[in-house]
Amino acid sequence: MTTLATPGTPGHPGTAAGTTSSTGLTPRRRRSKSSGMDLTWRGKVVRYVVLSLAAVVTIFPFYAMVVLSLKPAAAIQFPQSLIPTNLGFAAYDRVLGAGNIWTWFGNTLIYSVVSVVLVLAFSAMAGYAFAKKKFPGREAMFWSFLAMVMVPYHVTLIPTFILMAQVGGLDTYWGLILPTLANAQAVFLMRQFIMDMPDDLFEAAKLDGASEWRIFTRIVLPLCKPILATLGTFVFLWHWNDFLWPLIMGQGTDHWTLTVGIASLQQQDVPLNMILAGATISFVPIFAAYLVAQRYFQEGVTMSGIKG
Amino acid sequence: MTATTPSGDVLGPGLEGSVPDGAAPVARSTSGGPSGPSRGNGPTGPSAFRRTMARREARIGLLFALPAFLLFLAFRFGPAIAGVGLSFFEYTIGGTAEWTGLDNFERMVNDPIFWSAMRVTLILSVLIVPLSLAISTFMALLVRRSFRGSGFYRSVFFLPVVTSLVLAATVFTWVFSTGGPWSQLMGLIGLSTDSWLGSTTLVLPALALVSIWSRFGYGMLILLARMQDLPRELEEAAALDGANAWHRFWHIIMPQLKPTLFFLAVIETTASFQIFDLVYTMTGGGPARASYSLVYQIYDQGFKYFDLGYASTLGVALFIITIVVALVQRRLIGRDK
Repeated sequence: MTTLATPGTPGHPGTAAGTTSSTGLTPRRRRSKSSGMDLTWRGKVVRYVVLSLAAVVTIFPFYAMVVLSLKPAAAIQFPQSLIPTNLGFAAYDRVLGAGNIWTWFGNTLIYSVVSVVLVLAFSAMAGYAFAKKKFPGREAMFWSFLAMVMVPYHVTLIPTFILMAQVGGLDTYWGLILPTLANAQAVFLMRQFIMDMPDDLFEAAKLDGASEWRIFTRIVLPLCKPILATLGTFVFLWHWNDFLWPLIMGQGTDHWTLTVGIASLQQQDVPLNMILAGATISFVPIFAAYLVAQRYFQEGVTMSGIKG
Repeated sequence: MTATTPSGDVLGPGLEGSVPDGAAPVARSTSGGPSGPSRGNGPTGPSAFRRTMARREARIGLLFALPAFLLFLAFRFGPAIAGVGLSFFEYTIGGTAEWTGLDNFERMVNDPIFWSAMRVTLILSVLIVPLSLAISTFMALLVRRSFRGSGFYRSVFFLPVVTSLVLAATVFTWVFSTGGPWSQLMGLIGLSTDSWLGSTTLVLPALALVSIWSRFGYGMLILLARMQDLPRELEEAAALDGANAWHRFWHIIMPQLKPTLFFLAVIETTASFQIFDLVYTMTGGGPARASYSLVYQIYDQGFKYFDLGYASTLGVALFIITIVVALVQRRLIGRDK
């Protein structure tokens, strides 16, 4: 990693020269766009080598997961096991046949999709109200939302669990979903976004006699498409990967999500190829979505700044 | 914030658009707007019309905000207060609650398992945060200019971020198993080939590595966004003056990244304090409680022993520690310059 004269790894203030080429030696003023900071071809090669090594390290676990899941159990010896020969879907057949994977898959899908729809609906409505309407208590409400963003999830975990247990929400979809809909960050982001819309838009519609609901669904929501896509991707991802909450809410295996189910496979003495087959199944939808809509994933996660 | 904004930002993201545009303080005009007294003619006059309009607006605003607010009251605000309250009770799942004052806190302070969990959590943070920030910065610098393939590399490095930690845990359990890739790699460089997950000293570095693998792409992307906002001129001028890459980084880029690094340090620290999924799936807190983290103890107390009062106390402790560390970091990183 230290061969390239790139900073980032602290220390070695001296080793910088070398690869980074023409720094200052040839002040090519004409090409002002990249004067003095271009990499030489050697620098470029080194950059590619370092990046490719890092990419291999990053991808290796995914590769191993897929290949090992396609191997017969007996063949899982490193490193021979990573050569993709003798592949088959035996482990998938077994994990799909024996376990409740489809149930978990369905639960995860319901948990994620329903949450996305409701979070988007409620946060868009609230965001519109906070951005464009004046009503008594608005400030207090808004600031209480904002303050709660700081309180970690684990402080509220236990009381929320007690509450849901008392109203009979354990082992139910609504019990699983409802508490996760309280998303202050989503409201905050929607408000920021809607605040930038010019008021004239709404005024004009109002003068034409449009109802508030109509203004909201026909003007506000369509204009919010970019933020809804970004936020929706993030909420989906968060729910799909969520672990602790489904773990404590799902008492029986029928109510588990994929993460909970796979963690339980991992803890029992299930053969590795079956565990990894389950993991691969849980990964495929996210990976497919990531390939199609990377931009939204990247925006969503960086905007909301949170991962498990 | 990388949110795309529609049209030019008219109002700007000011903290609170309290009084939009130049509306007179008395007139609660309909959400401002320069259109003036809209249709307000007729015998009642504009002011009466406006008042009914304002009342209507208020009602609608309240209605629109209500679902989110009720959810928020029930599942964030209420539980946060209850969580603090609960830490003063002996509460069992049967529903019996008994006020015990500071007993839970006293118990916590005298609980060797709590201190061991604290130690584990702090060690993990110390291992994870600096290394993860360094790697994020390093990778961001490598991919910050566009070149052939730069988009591909960014996508690859971000992939672990969208992957569930449970999934990562299943694969990495194999990676770190005896005879697995990591142990053979260690063997190649002459170290013991024993599984790191079975070692009380090496289990935390192993967990830290997985955590860094799963998170560095996030920091990279945040830093990348910031780096692309930096003016090129400064760097170019320094290059012309003969500053090498390291100097340009350390004296020009780095100072401008400080606020972003502070933000990331807080986020990363908070995340590493809450480490749970990996511990649960990879080690179950073992061996011999060597990876028993604070949130794992909360889970254990709350949902294995159903000692919900004590678990809440531990939650409050986590909250306080998170705030204290954020303040300390602010002093350390946020100050100077």
